[in-house]
Amino acid sequence: MVRKKKDRAASDPVTAAAVEMVLYITESGPNSVRAVANLEAICKEHLQGNFRLEIIDVLQYPLRALADGVVVTPSLAKLSPLPAATVVGNLSDKSGVLRALGIVE
Amino acid sequence: MDRAVPLPNPAPSASERSFKKAIQRLVKGGPERLAIEAGQIDAIIDRGSGNAILLPAAQRALIERKAELRSLIGLASDWYWELDERYRFVSHRGASDDADGFAEEGMIGKTLWDLSIDNMSDADWRTHRQQLEWRAIFRDLEIRRVGRTGEVRYLSTSGEPIFDDRNQFKGYRGITRDITERRQAEALMQAPRRFDRAILDALEAPIAVLDQTGAVLTANQAWLALVNTQSGVGTGVAVGSNYLVVWDGASGDEQVDGKAIAAGIRQVIAGERALFRYDYACNPPPDRSWYALSVTGIVGNGHACAVVSCEDITERKRGELLLGLEFTVARCLADADTSTVALQSVIRAICETQGWDCGRYFCMDQSAGVLRFVESWGVPSAVIAQFLEKSRGMVFRPGAGLAGRVYQSGQPLWMLNSARGARVSSRALAPETSENAACVFPVTTADKVIGVLAFSGSKVREPDDRMLHALRSIGSQLGRFMLRHEVVNVLRLREMRFRVLTDLACDWHWEQDRDFRLTQVVGCSAFGTPDVLGLTHWDLPHVVVADVGWAEHKSQLAARWSFCDFEFAIVQPDGKQAYYSISGEPVYDEAGAFTGYCGTGVDITKRKRAEIELRESEARLRAVMAGALPHVR
Repeated sequence: MVRKKKDRAASDPVTAAAVEMVLYITESGPNSVRAVANLEAICKEHLQGNFRLEIIDVLQYPLRALADGVVVTPSLAKLSPLPAATVVGNLSDKSGVLRALGIVE
Repeated sequence: MDRAVPLPNPAPSASERSFKKAIQRLVKGGPERLAIEAGQIDAIIDRGSGNAILLPAAQRALIERKAELRSLIGLASDWYWELDERYRFVSHRGASDDADGFAEEGMIGKTLWDLSIDNMSDADWRTHRQQLEWRAIFRDLEIRRVGRTGEVRYLSTSGEPIFDDRNQFKGYRGITRDITERRQAEALMQAPRRFDRAILDALEAPIAVLDQTGAVLTANQAWLALVNTQSGVGTGVAVGSNYLVVWDGASGDEQVDGKAIAAGIRQVIAGERALFRYDYACNPPPDRSWYALSVTGIVGNGHACAVVSCEDITERKRGELLLGLEFTVARCLADADTSTVALQSVIRAICETQGWDCGRYFCMDQSAGVLRFVESWGVPSAVIAQFLEKSRGMVFRPGAGLAGRVYQSGQPLWMLNSARGARVSSRALAPETSENAACVFPVTTADKVIGVLAFSGSKVREPDDRMLHALRSIGSQLGRFMLRHEVVNVLRLREMRFRVLTDLACDWHWEQDRDFRLTQVVGCSAFGTPDVLGLTHWDLPHVVVADVGWAEHKSQLAARWSFCDFEFAIVQPDGKQAYYSISGEPVYDEAGAFTGYCGTGVDITKRKRAEIELRESEARLRAVMAGALPHVR
């Protein structure tokens, strides 16, 4: 499964650079389901749509995960803005996720 | 790259912990190991094989997920199937392995078109295979098969293509639903509609159903046949056409009818009236057609607002017109004083009713043995007037020309414009028909043809039985009139001659009622006074009644005897007597009852006075001679 969410700022150069992320999951895995929900909540609360998220089901695209250096799911990879960061697990540690995304509360 | 460390999961089971320990050997990173330890990982990617290895919780979730999907598929469909890249069944599972009846012939390894399906043509299969070649999703492909027991099954199948992670086509997967019950239910629901449709089509009258805008929602076969064959307004008003617009757009002679009909239909649709009836005509004579339009409102039936019935009543109307024509002819003959008036009025009535240009009457001249032109009538037209003028003096021998043939055969003949055959020269018939169509029929008495009526027109419709009956009836009426008129003329001439002779033989003639009172005195001033009506001869003023002859006269009258030269005298104002001689005979009605006397009268005063004077002279001579010659007596 590949899902992409496009941010509003992509067409608005005046606003801050959008956060580009890839979430590797296992379709129907309990932690993957929870990770998607947690990330949706964080994005809604802190990014206000200013992000681009790609969700990849490793059961369908295992080679893609392997090529991206992902070894476990769920894993969230922040690609931009730099520095890049990776969070593994179901993203229930909100502060850790915010820190990885470069968002300071 | 920062790596966030997940918090530990508080409740992993012992077996899970042992499994995770085995798994962690595949994972070298610390955060990943901690996450596995915390129970926050679903799968591990084996770097060697590239496969994803599910952890137990994720495996259970996937199994449950598959079970749920299978359950949902089971709810949504009856079978789940898969095809390989050559469209052959590789899997086919459902509530019952043989529920669709295909299992009996073995589906695995066969394509859908290899199975015994009877509702798909070669073209249908080509289309379906093209869809598969295009890797298109297909939905609700309906197939039908008849089992060995004759049971018909309807199946609906849908499928989507399968691709691997390299986007290579792997085949199709899909579901099949048994829709036999639904189809049967639909067939049952359709049955009443088919029943209604069959009834509608079985009706002889053309019927259409209109919506609120006047558009034709549906129509029966009779309606479609009518609108495809009729000419004039209303032609081609098929389903989907707007009937109101058609009538609104009527022009020419049909404009008035069109406005009235459109207004009536609108009133019915608006619910202002329940029924609207209107008879209207199309086309000019003689091809005129009549229709009886009936519009009935419909309440509470969805879009349908009115039912229109348009019945062809041409035959009935023509019959009524012909019946009216027969009455008109009878009235013309009754009102006519002369044969000329009768013939003209009859010919005109026929021409106006049938739309013919002119008509002529040829009478048989028995002495010459030819039909002679007698009378005619034509529409105001220079051409017709010229044609009729040329007809004057025209004669036909029996058997010659249309008129001669009709006279000879006693049967009507007609010539239609399009029916001029090679054996009939239009030029030869031109003097008879004005190079138009013609209808000629005999004028008859009880036992013979006495003349012929010949009509011409630009168009003559081929007479049907009703019209032939009308022509025979009119010919017979006219024939009787002409015969009666001829007899009356003969009688009138005879009476005239008799009256002349009577006038020469007497001074007046008189009539009495049964009481011998004078009712009519025609002639010179009888008895010296006109006021004698109502009086008997013996009651006349100053009649000399002392004469004994009156008693004998009265006894003769009482005995109903004829009497001749009964003489009587009346004292005139100068005191002299006038002498009259009357003759009479009794009159009886058809029943033999005595109704009075009629007779003649002669003034014999001069003769009587001469006789008296002669007698007196003779008496004087005798007296003189007796005085002179006493011996002479």
